[in-house]
Amino acid sequence: MSQSPVVRLMDVSKRIGGRTIIDRVSLEVNSGEVFGFLGPNGSGKTTTIRMMVGLMALSGGDIQIAGHSIKTEFPQAITQVGAIVENPEMYKFLTGYQNLLHYARMNPGVTEQRIHEVVKLVGLSERIHDKVSKYSLGMRQRLGVAQAVIHRPKLLVLDEPTNGLDPAGIRELRDYLRLLAREEGTAVFVSSHMLSEMELMCDRVAILQKGQIIDIRSIRAAVEETTHTAENVLFEVDHPDAALGVLEGHSSGRVEDGALIVTADRSTVASINRRLVEAGINVYGIRVKSKSLEDQFLEVTAGDTIG
Amino acid sequence: MADFWKLVQNENMKIYRRLRTWIMLGIVIVSPLIFSTIVYGSSDVHTASNWSVMSFESTVTLALVTLFTVVASADSVAGEFSWGTVKLLLIRPWSRASVLLSKFVSLLLFGLFFSAVTFITSFLVNVLYFGYTGSPSDLDPSWVGHPWTYIGLFYLYKYISLVLIVSFSFMLSSAFRSGGLAIGLSMFLLFAGGIISGILVAFDKAWVKYVLFPHLSLTPYLEGNSPIPGHPTTLGFSLAVLAVYFVIFNLVSWSVFTKRDIAA
Repeated sequence: MSQSPVVRLMDVSKRIGGRTIIDRVSLEVNSGEVFGFLGPNGSGKTTTIRMMVGLMALSGGDIQIAGHSIKTEFPQAITQVGAIVENPEMYKFLTGYQNLLHYARMNPGVTEQRIHEVVKLVGLSERIHDKVSKYSLGMRQRLGVAQAVIHRPKLLVLDEPTNGLDPAGIRELRDYLRLLAREEGTAVFVSSHMLSEMELMCDRVAILQKGQIIDIRSIRAAVEETTHTAENVLFEVDHPDAALGVLEGHSSGRVEDGALIVTADRSTVASINRRLVEAGINVYGIRVKSKSLEDQFLEVTAGDTIG
Repeated sequence: MADFWKLVQNENMKIYRRLRTWIMLGIVIVSPLIFSTIVYGSSDVHTASNWSVMSFESTVTLALVTLFTVVASADSVAGEFSWGTVKLLLIRPWSRASVLLSKFVSLLLFGLFFSAVTFITSFLVNVLYFGYTGSPSDLDPSWVGHPWTYIGLFYLYKYISLVLIVSFSFMLSSAFRSGGLAIGLSMFLLFAGGIISGILVAFDKAWVKYVLFPHLSLTPYLEGNSPIPGHPTTLGFSLAVLAVYFVIFNLVSWSVFTKRDIAA
């Protein structure tokens, strides 16, 4: 698997009527990677996505997909892209199958067999010959995924893909995206304002605010990093104050919301636990009180005001 | 080329997989039946020939065909925007110009198909009611050729004006993304054209003959007249004027559709 990025945004800007909507955004997404594009509403996520798929012209910079510029080599670039931009809008007066046929005809080399394969993949076999007007939102979302992957793109772009999905649907989508990235080496670019969702789905996330990227961070690396360093660890015990007394002289801690919080690395956690148990304190649970992406996100965008 | 035909196939699917298209087709089939039945019932059979009734009722039915083609064209581009499907349509390895051309071709085929249905229905029902006349008839006193030539040219001239009106509605549909506006203004062009032509005749100005409206009605040439009484023009001149408007309308559609940001 080549490590050259599937999509590369280089100083991408968009100005509309004198206002800068997107300001010199640069990022790369590699093959086999699920990349999250995170930002509050109105930060410019959808505008960036529209530029990536050629629906909007760039005011500055360039976007390359598999080495082809979206500006000067549109057909070669876009043939590597599958996308859902905002809601998966389909022709409601056509059946699901006819909708897929419509898009299959527009990409060279998509066979009828491939259509059936994709239909099965998204679990729509039973209802594929029904009109889309009779579909639920979740079924439309599945059909949206089907049209996006039908031509085996190297880059899959999904704008707020979990909108309107129930928890089971979200989980299914998440598993499917990870599978696509792992098995077929697809680069997946997902935008969302649902932070916890991104945390579960993505390898890396970029945080966008007012049209500027303020941070790009690796989620997996962050998780690994924490296993070797001291962290805030929460002990759920029956007598937190007594527990604090037991640890006196060994570890420093505090009591917070009826639980004991200690800063410790992994081996210290084990020894603290032994001490507590030996002192006759019941330990109901131990967990790392790590910062979630949400905390980080709110921290980074703190003090943000709209406008 | 084979690949481009697939785009046209897609557009055709979006036209003919809708119930309303078949309702329109039903109306186009039924209206000559109704007209001929009324003429047959109310007039002396000997004064009406199959050709004269056919040309009269074709005028009305082809106006309906133009209306229906305009309705289809209004949806063709504006519909994609209001449905939101334009976002999925334009992220395929095709230039926007190709997508637009496929839509235009599908509309020309729609007009051709409906005109052919009108021709066949009208011809058959009138032969059934009034019998078949093979000689130069009472179509028009000045017409000495074969009736087939007359009716053939009649349909050709009507189709040319349909192409112009559809280009106009297609332009509005892609420029304003409003189907309603495209339908309304095109209907105005179709029906008010005659009235405006009448007013224009009153101006004794040279520019009058360059205005689009009178040239939308080419059938006066069949009777040796000009579409603008008092301003003698030739068929070639009218076709040249129409060609210029055709190019302008389509240039506007193309340039707007290929450059604009899609924010729908």
